[in-house]
Amino acid sequence: MIADGVRLSLAEIEIAHLVGLIDDFTEVLVTLDDESDPAFARLTPDVYPDDAAASAEFSAATRDDLLDRRAAEAATVRRGLVASSAAEAASIPDNGLEMRDVVIRMSELDAWLRTLTALRLVIASRLGMTTDDDQRDPGDSRYAVYDWLGIRLDGVIALADDLDEGLG
Amino acid sequence: MSAPIIEPGVEESLDLYAAPLEPWQVVVWNDPVNLMSYVVRVFRTYFGYSRDHATTLMLAVHHDGHAIVATGPRETMEVHAQAMHDFGLWATVRKAPQ
Repeated sequence: MIADGVRLSLAEIEIAHLVGLIDDFTEVLVTLDDESDPAFARLTPDVYPDDAAASAEFSAATRDDLLDRRAAEAATVRRGLVASSAAEAASIPDNGLEMRDVVIRMSELDAWLRTLTALRLVIASRLGMTTDDDQRDPGDSRYAVYDWLGIRLDGVIALADDLDEGLG
Repeated sequence: MSAPIIEPGVEESLDLYAAPLEPWQVVVWNDPVNLMSYVVRVFRTYFGYSRDHATTLMLAVHHDGHAIVATGPRETMEVHAQAMHDFGLWATVRKAPQ
Protein backbone atom coordinates (compact mmCIF):
# COMPACT_ATOMS: atom_id res chain seq x y z
CA MET A 1 0.00 0.00 0.00
CA ILE A 2 1.19 3.55 -0.67
CA ALA A 3 0.04 6.85 0.75
CA ASP A 4 -2.65 7.64 -1.80
CA GLY A 5 -3.18 4.42 -3.66
CA VAL A 6 -2.20 0.78 -4.03
CA ARG A 7 0.48 -1.27 -5.73
CA LEU A 8 -0.66 -4.09 -7.96
CA SER A 9 1.97 -6.72 -8.67
CA LEU A 10 1.89 -7.90 -12.29
CA ALA A 11 4.34 -9.83 -14.45
CA GLU A 12 5.65 -8.07 -17.56
CA ILE A 13 3.80 -10.58 -19.71
CA GLU A 14 0.54 -9.73 -17.93
CA ILE A 15 1.09 -6.03 -18.47
CA ALA A 16 1.70 -6.66 -22.17
CA HIS A 17 -1.47 -8.76 -22.48
CA LEU A 18 -3.56 -6.25 -20.56
CA VAL A 19 -2.35 -3.39 -22.75
CA GLY A 20 -3.25 -5.48 -25.81
CA LEU A 21 -6.74 -6.21 -24.46
CA ILE A 22 -7.29 -2.53 -23.67
CA ASP A 23 -6.28 -1.60 -27.23
CA ASP A 24 -8.76 -4.17 -28.57
CA PHE A 25 -11.43 -2.83 -26.22
CA THR A 26 -10.81 0.77 -27.31
CA GLU A 27 -11.17 -0.36 -30.92
CA VAL A 28 -14.41 -2.16 -30.08
CA LEU A 29 -15.78 1.01 -28.43
CA VAL A 30 -15.11 3.03 -31.58
CA THR A 31 -16.91 0.59 -33.85
CA LEU A 32 -19.67 -0.30 -31.41
CA ASP A 33 -22.90 1.00 -32.87
CA ASP A 34 -25.02 -2.05 -33.44
CA GLU A 35 -27.70 -2.53 -30.82
CA SER A 36 -27.94 -6.22 -31.68
CA ASP A 37 -24.29 -6.65 -30.63
CA PRO A 38 -24.45 -8.35 -27.22
CA ALA A 39 -21.36 -6.45 -26.01
CA PHE A 40 -23.04 -3.15 -26.89
CA ALA A 41 -26.24 -4.23 -25.14
CA ARG A 42 -24.31 -5.29 -22.05
CA LEU A 43 -22.16 -2.15 -21.74
CA THR A 44 -25.20 0.11 -22.19
CA PRO A 45 -28.22 -1.83 -20.92
CA ASP A 46 -31.83 -0.87 -21.60
CA VAL A 47 -32.94 1.12 -18.61
CA TYR A 48 -36.68 0.61 -19.26
CA PRO A 49 -36.97 -2.93 -20.69
CA ASP A 50 -40.79 -2.66 -20.81
CA ASP A 51 -40.90 0.79 -22.40
CA ALA A 52 -38.98 0.93 -25.66
CA ALA A 53 -39.67 4.64 -26.23
CA ALA A 54 -38.46 5.70 -22.78
CA SER A 55 -35.44 3.40 -23.11
CA ALA A 56 -34.54 4.86 -26.51
CA GLU A 57 -34.87 8.41 -25.18
CA PHE A 58 -32.67 7.61 -22.19
CA SER A 59 -30.04 5.89 -24.25
CA ALA A 60 -29.96 8.66 -26.86
CA ALA A 61 -29.24 11.12 -24.06
CA THR A 62 -26.63 9.05 -22.23
CA ARG A 63 -25.11 6.25 -24.32
CA ASP A 64 -22.36 8.20 -26.10
CA ASP A 65 -21.16 9.74 -22.84
CA LEU A 66 -21.17 6.33 -21.18
CA LEU A 67 -18.99 4.84 -23.91
CA ASP A 68 -16.73 7.93 -23.88
CA ARG A 69 -16.17 7.39 -20.16
CA ARG A 70 -15.22 3.75 -20.82
CA ALA A 71 -12.65 4.87 -23.40
CA ALA A 72 -11.21 7.59 -21.15
CA GLU A 73 -10.91 5.21 -18.20
CA ALA A 74 -9.33 2.51 -20.37
CA ALA A 75 -6.74 5.11 -21.44
CA THR A 76 -6.04 5.91 -17.77
CA VAL A 77 -5.40 2.23 -17.02
CA ARG A 78 -3.24 1.87 -20.12
CA ARG A 79 -1.06 4.81 -19.06
CA GLY A 80 -0.53 3.26 -15.63
CA LEU A 81 0.43 -0.06 -17.17
CA VAL A 82 2.85 1.38 -19.69
CA ALA A 83 4.48 3.59 -17.04
CA SER A 84 5.18 0.51 -14.90
CA SER A 85 6.62 -1.63 -17.66
CA ALA A 86 10.18 -1.76 -18.94
CA ALA A 87 8.93 -3.18 -22.25
CA GLU A 88 7.63 -1.37 -25.29
CA ALA A 89 3.88 -1.02 -25.24
CA ALA A 90 1.95 -4.03 -26.51
CA SER A 91 5.09 -5.98 -27.36
CA ILE A 92 5.77 -9.37 -25.83
CA PRO A 93 8.69 -8.70 -23.51
CA ASP A 94 11.79 -10.88 -23.22
CA ASN A 95 11.63 -10.60 -19.45
CA GLY A 96 8.00 -11.71 -19.31
CA LEU A 97 8.09 -13.27 -15.87
CA GLU A 98 9.69 -10.34 -14.08
CA MET A 99 7.25 -8.77 -11.66
CA ARG A 100 6.43 -5.06 -11.69
CA ASP A 101 4.59 -2.89 -9.20
CA VAL A 102 1.83 -1.06 -11.01
CA VAL A 103 0.88 2.02 -8.98
CA ILE A 104 -2.85 2.77 -8.92
CA ARG A 105 -3.68 6.15 -7.37
CA MET A 106 -6.84 6.39 -5.33
CA SER A 107 -8.29 8.73 -7.96
CA GLU A 108 -7.71 6.01 -10.57
CA LEU A 109 -9.15 3.06 -8.64
CA ASP A 110 -12.66 3.26 -10.08
CA ALA A 111 -11.23 3.55 -13.60
CA TRP A 112 -9.32 0.32 -12.99
CA LEU A 113 -12.28 -1.51 -11.47
CA ARG A 114 -14.67 -0.40 -14.23
CA THR A 115 -12.21 -1.09 -17.05
CA LEU A 116 -11.32 -4.62 -15.89
CA THR A 117 -15.05 -5.26 -15.43
CA ALA A 118 -15.86 -3.92 -18.90
CA LEU A 119 -13.19 -6.13 -20.48
CA ARG A 120 -14.76 -9.16 -18.79
CA LEU A 121 -18.25 -8.09 -19.88
CA VAL A 122 -17.15 -7.86 -23.51
CA ILE A 123 -15.39 -11.24 -23.45
CA ALA A 124 -18.38 -12.84 -21.68
CA SER A 125 -20.79 -11.41 -24.24
CA ARG A 126 -18.59 -12.67 -27.10
CA LEU A 127 -18.57 -16.11 -25.46
CA GLY A 128 -22.35 -16.00 -25.08
CA MET A 129 -22.25 -16.33 -21.30
CA THR A 130 -25.70 -15.50 -19.98
CA THR A 131 -26.25 -17.56 -16.82
CA ASP A 132 -24.21 -18.75 -13.85
CA ASP A 133 -24.42 -22.32 -15.14
CA ASP A 134 -23.27 -21.93 -18.75
CA GLN A 135 -21.24 -24.84 -20.10
CA ARG A 136 -17.70 -23.89 -21.13
CA ASP A 137 -15.84 -25.04 -24.20
CA PRO A 138 -12.53 -26.18 -22.67
CA GLY A 139 -10.76 -25.59 -25.98
CA ASP A 140 -11.64 -21.89 -26.09
CA SER A 141 -8.68 -19.98 -24.61
CA ARG A 142 -10.81 -16.87 -24.11
CA TYR A 143 -12.14 -18.49 -20.94
CA ALA A 144 -8.60 -18.50 -19.56
CA VAL A 145 -8.23 -14.79 -20.33
CA TYR A 146 -11.63 -14.15 -18.75
CA ASP A 147 -10.66 -16.06 -15.57
CA TRP A 148 -7.26 -14.35 -15.36
CA LEU A 149 -8.94 -10.91 -15.61
CA GLY A 150 -11.29 -12.02 -12.84
CA ILE A 151 -8.39 -12.96 -10.56
CA ARG A 152 -6.64 -9.64 -11.18
CA LEU A 153 -9.88 -7.68 -10.72
CA ASP A 154 -10.52 -9.49 -7.44
CA GLY A 155 -6.99 -8.50 -6.38
CA VAL A 156 -7.62 -4.82 -7.15
CA ILE A 157 -10.94 -4.98 -5.24
CA ALA A 158 -9.16 -6.47 -2.20
CA LEU A 159 -6.47 -3.75 -2.35
CA ALA A 160 -9.14 -1.05 -2.67
CA ASP A 161 -11.17 -2.47 0.22
CA ASP A 162 -8.02 -2.60 2.38
CA LEU A 163 -7.28 1.00 1.47
CA ASP A 164 -10.79 2.01 2.65
CA GLU A 165 -10.28 0.14 5.93
CA GLY A 166 -6.99 1.94 6.49
CA LEU A 167 -8.68 5.28 5.94
CA GLY A 168 -11.70 4.45 8.08
CA MET B 1 -50.42 55.21 -9.42
CA SER B 2 -51.87 51.98 -10.55
CA ALA B 3 -52.85 49.24 -8.25
CA PRO B 4 -50.40 46.38 -7.85
CA ILE B 5 -51.18 43.54 -10.15
CA ILE B 6 -50.87 41.03 -7.41
CA GLU B 7 -52.76 42.03 -4.35
CA PRO B 8 -50.74 41.57 -1.23
CA GLY B 9 -52.32 39.52 1.43
CA VAL B 10 -53.84 36.98 -0.90
CA GLU B 11 -52.91 33.65 0.50
CA GLU B 12 -51.54 31.12 -1.88
CA SER B 13 -51.69 27.52 -1.00
CA LEU B 14 -49.67 24.72 -2.40
CA ASP B 15 -51.69 21.56 -2.66
CA LEU B 16 -49.20 18.82 -2.05
CA TYR B 17 -51.79 16.22 -2.81
CA ALA B 18 -52.37 17.48 -6.33
CA ALA B 19 -49.26 15.87 -7.77
CA PRO B 20 -48.01 13.11 -5.54
CA LEU B 21 -44.44 12.04 -6.08
CA GLU B 22 -44.58 8.54 -7.41
CA PRO B 23 -41.64 6.51 -6.19
CA TRP B 24 -39.45 4.77 -8.74
CA GLN B 25 -36.94 2.01 -8.18
CA VAL B 26 -33.51 1.01 -9.42
CA VAL B 27 -33.34 -2.76 -9.86
CA VAL B 28 -29.99 -4.56 -10.25
CA TRP B 29 -30.18 -7.93 -12.01
CA ASN B 30 -28.01 -10.99 -11.63
CA ASP B 31 -25.38 -11.68 -14.27
CA PRO B 32 -22.73 -14.40 -14.54
CA VAL B 33 -19.84 -11.96 -14.86
CA ASN B 34 -19.67 -9.58 -11.94
CA LEU B 35 -17.78 -10.75 -8.87
CA MET B 36 -19.59 -10.79 -5.53
CA SER B 37 -16.80 -8.73 -3.94
CA TYR B 38 -17.20 -6.16 -6.71
CA VAL B 39 -20.98 -5.83 -6.39
CA VAL B 40 -20.66 -5.33 -2.62
CA ARG B 41 -18.01 -2.67 -3.17
CA VAL B 42 -20.15 -0.80 -5.73
CA PHE B 43 -23.20 -0.75 -3.44
CA ARG B 44 -21.01 0.30 -0.52
CA THR B 45 -18.98 3.03 -2.20
CA TYR B 46 -21.62 4.46 -4.57
CA PHE B 47 -24.71 4.41 -2.34
CA GLY B 48 -22.78 4.67 0.94
CA TYR B 49 -24.46 1.53 2.28
CA SER B 50 -22.89 -0.35 5.18
CA ARG B 51 -20.93 -3.49 4.36
CA ASP B 52 -23.75 -5.56 5.89
CA HIS B 53 -26.50 -3.89 3.87
CA ALA B 54 -24.46 -4.00 0.67
CA THR B 55 -23.79 -7.70 1.24
CA THR B 56 -27.48 -8.40 1.86
CA LEU B 57 -28.38 -6.66 -1.42
CA MET B 58 -25.64 -8.52 -3.32
CA LEU B 59 -26.89 -11.86 -2.00
CA ALA B 60 -30.45 -10.95 -3.00
CA VAL B 61 -29.21 -10.22 -6.54
CA HIS B 62 -27.33 -13.51 -6.59
CA HIS B 63 -30.02 -15.75 -5.12
CA ASP B 64 -33.28 -14.04 -6.15
CA GLY B 65 -32.01 -12.81 -9.52
CA HIS B 66 -32.50 -9.14 -8.69
CA ALA B 67 -32.69 -6.60 -5.87
CA ILE B 68 -34.13 -3.10 -5.43
CA VAL B 69 -31.11 -1.00 -4.55
CA ALA B 70 -32.68 2.48 -4.46
CA THR B 71 -36.13 4.11 -4.37
CA GLY B 72 -37.01 7.75 -5.08
CA PRO B 73 -37.85 10.29 -7.78
CA ARG B 74 -37.56 9.08 -11.35
CA GLU B 75 -34.77 11.47 -12.38
CA THR B 76 -32.65 10.47 -9.40
CA MET B 77 -33.19 6.80 -10.15
CA GLU B 78 -32.05 7.37 -13.73
CA VAL B 79 -28.84 8.94 -12.43
CA HIS B 80 -28.28 5.92 -10.17
CA ALA B 81 -28.97 3.47 -13.00
CA GLN B 82 -26.48 5.28 -15.21
CA ALA B 83 -23.89 5.02 -12.42
CA MET B 84 -24.59 1.28 -12.11
CA HIS B 85 -24.06 0.95 -15.88
CA ASP B 86 -20.74 2.78 -15.49
CA PHE B 87 -19.72 0.08 -13.03
CA GLY B 88 -20.87 -2.63 -15.44
CA LEU B 89 -23.87 -3.68 -13.39
CA TRP B 90 -27.10 -4.56 -15.17
CA ALA B 91 -29.57 -2.02 -13.77
CA THR B 92 -33.08 -0.99 -14.81
CA VAL B 93 -35.57 1.61 -13.59
CA ARG B 94 -39.25 0.95 -12.89
CA LYS B 95 -42.19 2.54 -11.16
CA ALA B 96 -42.56 1.17 -7.65
CA PRO B 97 -45.45 -1.31 -7.53
CA GLN B 98 -48.43 0.23 -5.75
